[in-house]
Amino acid sequence: MTVLILTGEEDVTADMVVVHLNASAVPVVRLDPADLTAGVALSGEYVHGSFEGHLSAGGRLVSVSGLRSVWVRRPGLPAARAAQPSAWLTEEASQALYGMLRGCGARWMNHPDAARRARHKPWQLRLAQRCGLPVPATLITTFPQAAREFAERFPDLVVKPVSGAHPQEPPRAVPTSRVAPDTDFAAVAYGPTLLQRRIAKRADVRLTAVGETLLAARKATPADADPDEVDVRFASSEAPWLPAEVPPRVARAVRGYLRDAELTYGAFDFAEDVDGTWWFLECNQSGQFGFVEVETGLPIARTIAGWLARPDPEEPGQVDDRRTVAP
Amino acid sequence: MQPFALNYARPAVEREAATPYVYDSGLQLNVLLDGRIAASDHALLRELGTTTSTAGSKTHFDD
Repeated sequence: MTVLILTGEEDVTADMVVVHLNASAVPVVRLDPADLTAGVALSGEYVHGSFEGHLSAGGRLVSVSGLRSVWVRRPGLPAARAAQPSAWLTEEASQALYGMLRGCGARWMNHPDAARRARHKPWQLRLAQRCGLPVPATLITTFPQAAREFAERFPDLVVKPVSGAHPQEPPRAVPTSRVAPDTDFAAVAYGPTLLQRRIAKRADVRLTAVGETLLAARKATPADADPDEVDVRFASSEAPWLPAEVPPRVARAVRGYLRDAELTYGAFDFAEDVDGTWWFLECNQSGQFGFVEVETGLPIARTIAGWLARPDPEEPGQVDDRRTVAP
Repeated sequence: MQPFALNYARPAVEREAATPYVYDSGLQLNVLLDGRIAASDHALLRELGTTTSTAGSKTHFDD
């Protein structure tokens, strides 16, 4: 049984997992849907009440029924690199590929339907609340007056994109940014705006969940850190990421979140306050993990490989590996 | 009129340096010029930042 990995060639983070799968002699087929019709091929036949499908890439041919798991890591837009790409061809290629794969019995990390829903950050906030994770006071609005009133109630605010996406043409990044107390909120009327109470943090936490296994890393905030440096991705701190214990209450809530979201992988971001409380910020259903493993030595790639390679849980002899890793 | 959040936008930093590895479709891995597997060189990955959580990705929401 083969592990199918959907990602780009340049994805060296996926390589970290492939190395472990190779070491375990687990067959792997790796392809980028962007290469469909130009290096990647597919065929599926629905005849006499049954289905038989095949995928081909890099000289490898795999039966769809022979897939044990599908890892949707960083796939390109289907057929984006075809000889004559078009929106129509992308839709055709997407329907053909993901439509066939949806019908197979393989386990997904993550299923496209779950992934699509899980990208909605407002949905994430509500699910986190329901699962018992502390969520900073948040407002998403197009009413400038609502923003002003929220700022009166919570004077220390940050703003960040609702979607997590960043504008192009020209390419720009919108980091989580502190909002000054005297800010004019009139422009809130021109786009949904996410305002959130700033957590005076003493650390950032990245918790990577792989199935039931939780691997957390913590990056301390220097005592003299600029309070305007909110977004750890842009902060100048040289503090290292270090392995961290996951508080049992957080572990229970995170597992509940994954279960309700139908996710098998999630990269959770928390802000740890001075009391040690982990405040939920977001869960990226395909968040990066390579930098955490490289800095901390946490065995994330090995854990992902193990999840992808393991037999179907319905098969006899399957061991429940429910655990929280703390090296 | 510009949405409020874009008041906080900054130019995205594109990685300009070429990565010192190429994809080997036989191995299904990226390999360095000396034939070693790039993913096994954690010091290099740390230096390049290619496995890092970033913002401003053109193609992906998730970091």
